[in-house]
Parts: sequence; structure tokens; C-alpha cells
Amino acid sequence: MRPPLFALSALDKRFGARVLFEQAALQFEAGHGYVVTGANGSGKTTLLRMIAGLEGAQQGTLAFRDAQATVYEYPEAWRREIVYVHQQPYLFHSTIEKNLEYGLARRGIDADQRRIRVREALEWAGLSDRRELPPHKLSGGEAQRVALARAKLLDPALLLLDEPTANLDGEARQQVLELVTALCLADHTVVIASHDPEIMRLAILDRMVLAGGRIRME
Amino acid sequence: MDLFEPTRQAFALLVSGEPRLWGIIWVSLWVAVLAIGVTAPPAIIAGFALAKLRFAGRRVIVVLMQALLSFPTVVIGLVVYLLLSRRGPLGAFELLFTPWAIMLGYIVIALPILIVFTVATVQGADPRIYETALSLGAAPSRAALTTLWEVRFGVMAGIVNAFGRVVSEVGCALLVGGNIAGLTRNIPTAIALETSKGDFAQGIALGMVLVVLALGINVALASLQGRGGLE
Ligand SMILES: Nc1ncnc2c1ncn2[C@@H]1O[C@H](COP(=O)(O)OP(=O)(O)OP(=O)(O)O)[C@@H](O)[C@H]1O
Ligand SMILES: [Mg+2]
Repeated sequence: MRPPLFALSALDKRFGARVLFEQAALQFEAGHGYVVTGANGSGKTTLLRMIAGLEGAQQGTLAFRDAQATVYEYPEAWRREIVYVHQQPYLFHSTIEKNLEYGLARRGIDADQRRIRVREALEWAGLSDRRELPPHKLSGGEAQRVALARAKLLDPALLLLDEPTANLDGEARQQVLELVTALCLADHTVVIASHDPEIMRLAILDRMVLAGGRIRME
Repeated sequence: MDLFEPTRQAFALLVSGEPRLWGIIWVSLWVAVLAIGVTAPPAIIAGFALAKLRFAGRRVIVVLMQALLSFPTVVIGLVVYLLLSRRGPLGAFELLFTPWAIMLGYIVIALPILIVFTVATVQGADPRIYETALSLGAAPSRAALTTLWEVRFGVMAGIVNAFGRVVSEVGCALLVGGNIAGLTRNIPTAIALETSKGDFAQGIALGMVLVVLALGINVALASLQGRGGLE
């Protein structure tokens, strides 16, 4: 059997007296999609942040590809392949194009290549006519789409999305749902924290439920 | 007392490009600019570290810097004087009564201002800036730069404040510079001297330059903020 792309085991996470995870474990297979659900405050955001190395924990072992690490000593290099998108994404106060370029530039990709990939990503997200706008003039749905495009064009091995549709409704929500579905259908490994029924209904996603300090596969 | 006549003379002095006057202005400018220039980069890095990293002694340093903010510049001048005086620990460098002595004083005055402004700005910054940069693959040092860039107006306000404070202070420059004509006489020490001698035209001319300088950089900052800001 193939080893999982990413595994987390013996995870203990507390905030003061509040116990979020106790000896929890999970695995992600390459090319699969996952939806993480659970009540408000059950720890979905915290879990994604720990997987992305943005938050430590009292205890926990991580495995990514052939490498091992602990939750409190997250390897710098993994951040190049594991990308987290905030529930309300932050866009840098420059242009949309600069936002999309940021990760590519950090990977040493040259300017010509960057321009091509940024244009593709803008098209993918349906934002080609918005490229000139400064980010603070975008609607919530457009900002979420920029953030999805900014993460997707890095072609991450593991893409972590925190409630991508939570603050949206109507057409904006539909547009983001389409992008999220497209990401799941491509061979990205996507993990989505969400209780959006339409995301949970996506047949291609495996469900994980957070409850009682554990992570349960369904 | 007649204010009009010395003011008219002051304008005449400035316009005539009198070398002695512009020499004084030049000393003020280059010493202050160089002092802020060498202090700002390490102070901003230190401010970022104090705001973001958790290490022992961090609180103590921040409180100390805040206390230093309200330190009288003449006392800072006294300390620098003692350090640089012939029998002081840095006496061998023979820097007392040179522009370098003033610059050292300016550095001590500017450092806490720059650090405190940066700490406050970075602590007030959206934590998602740093996290977004990291998660998009930036190294921590790069993510720190990105954060500072996103909140650059707060950091620049610190630089403007520090510059305004050092160019206008008298006590330290007078004490460690000695107000030597053509060498360490700068705008504030010259104003103090000329006024005490009764030469009001010189004092008024230099005072106007100082005010224009202080206002000018503040206006420049405000207009930058307006243009690059969030509307
Ligand atoms: N930095 C923190 N300090 C203290 N408590 C925290 C911190 N971050 C999260 N918590 C707590 O941990 C719990 C889980 O938070 P988290 O945001 O992970 O939940 P969630 O499942 O994402 O909730 P939601 O559905 O509302 O987004 C909450 O009770 C929250 O108050
Ligand atoms: Mg959440």
C-alpha cells in the first residue's frame, strides 16, 4: 500500500484548560479531497493551521512524504508545498497581480514565467477584468477567488481551505463553490474545513468529523 | 519690540544664500539624516523582533524603551559627554566637540523612538499578513519584510518623529558638540546663541528653516499616506 501524503498522529492541543485534541490522528492520501466538519469551536481552523505550520501544539508527530517532524518544529521547506487559505483571506495592499505573483517570486520563478502563470490563474478564477483593481476594492467573493487563485497557481501538494464559502451568499458563493469543486476534481490534494451543505455533498470528498478531541473518518 | 525688521532681515539672509547661515543648516541636516539612516534599519528589525518573538527579557526591553522616550535630551547629552570625555570609556576616539559626538547623541535619542513606533505598528498589524506570507512560501525574514512593508506608514511615522525630535533638540547638541562655528554649530544651537547675543534676524531665519523642515517631512508623509493609503 502507498504511504499517505500527509499524516498527523498523537496530537494533543489545548488552549489553557480548553482541550481541542487529545491523541488525535489523521491521514491524507495524495490526490484525494477531504472535508473537515464539526461544531463551531470544535477546532477545524486550529487543525488546518497546525497542518500548515502556523500554530504549534503541546504534542504531535507529522509526516509529509518521506519526512517526519513535530508540530512544534515545523520544517520550513514544507511551507513551499502546503498552502493554507484563511477563512477571510488577507490580500496585500498592492495589485491583484502582485498578490498572485508573491508565492511564485518566493520560489525563484522568473518574471516571464510568473506573468504567464498569473494570467492563467486570473482567467481560471474569472478575474481577468479585475486585475487592475486594488485589492481593497474587491467584494468578499472576489477576494476569496483571488486567494484561491493565489494558492492554486503555486500547485501545492496539499491545499488547506478554511470555510471558503462561509461569508458569502448568492452568486458570489456559487462562483467560489465552482472553483472549489474544480480544485477537488483536479488531482490536487485539498482539505476543506466547512459546514456548507453543498461542499459536504460533493461526492468526491471524504468526510472527517471533529468531536470529543478526536478526528473521525466517515 | 519690533518683530518686522528682523523678520525682513531674516528673509534677506536666507535669500542671499549667506554661506555661514547655510553651513549651519547643512550641519543640522547631514548629522540628523545620517544618524536616522544608520539607526533606522537595526531599530526596525529590533522592533519587529520585540513585537513578534517571544523571548526572555522582551517585556523589560519594551518598557525600558518606552521610558527612554521621555528622557530629556540634555541628560542623554550628559551621558554621551561623560562617555566621550578624555577620561571616559570612549575618550580615546577624541570625538567630543565633533559632529560625530552629536550624531552619537542623536542615535541614542532616535533609537527608542524608532523601536517603540515599530513595536506598536507591528503589534497592531493584522496577524494574517505574516501568516499569508509564510504560507505562500516566504522565509520568516521575508515574511517580516512583507509585514513591515504592509504597515510602512506606521514605521515611517516613527522615522519622521525621530527626525523631528533630533533636528530640533538643543541640549544634547550644545553639550557634546560645543556649538563650534563651522563645525558643530547647527540650527538649534545657533538659534540659542544668536538670540542670546541679540541677533534676532539670524535666529528667526534659522527658526523658519527648522519649522519648514519639520512641517515639510510631516506633509510629505501625509501626502504619501493619502496616495498609497486605503481611502
Ligand atoms: N489563539 C487562541 N487562544 C485561545 N483560544 C483559542 C485560540 N484559537 C482558538 N481558540 C479556541 O479554540 C477553539 C477552536 O477554535 P477554532 O477556530 O479552531 O474552531 P472552528 O472549528 O474553526 O470554529 P468555527 O466553526 O467557528 O470556525 C475555540 O473555542 C476557540 O475559542
Ligand atoms: Mg474556523
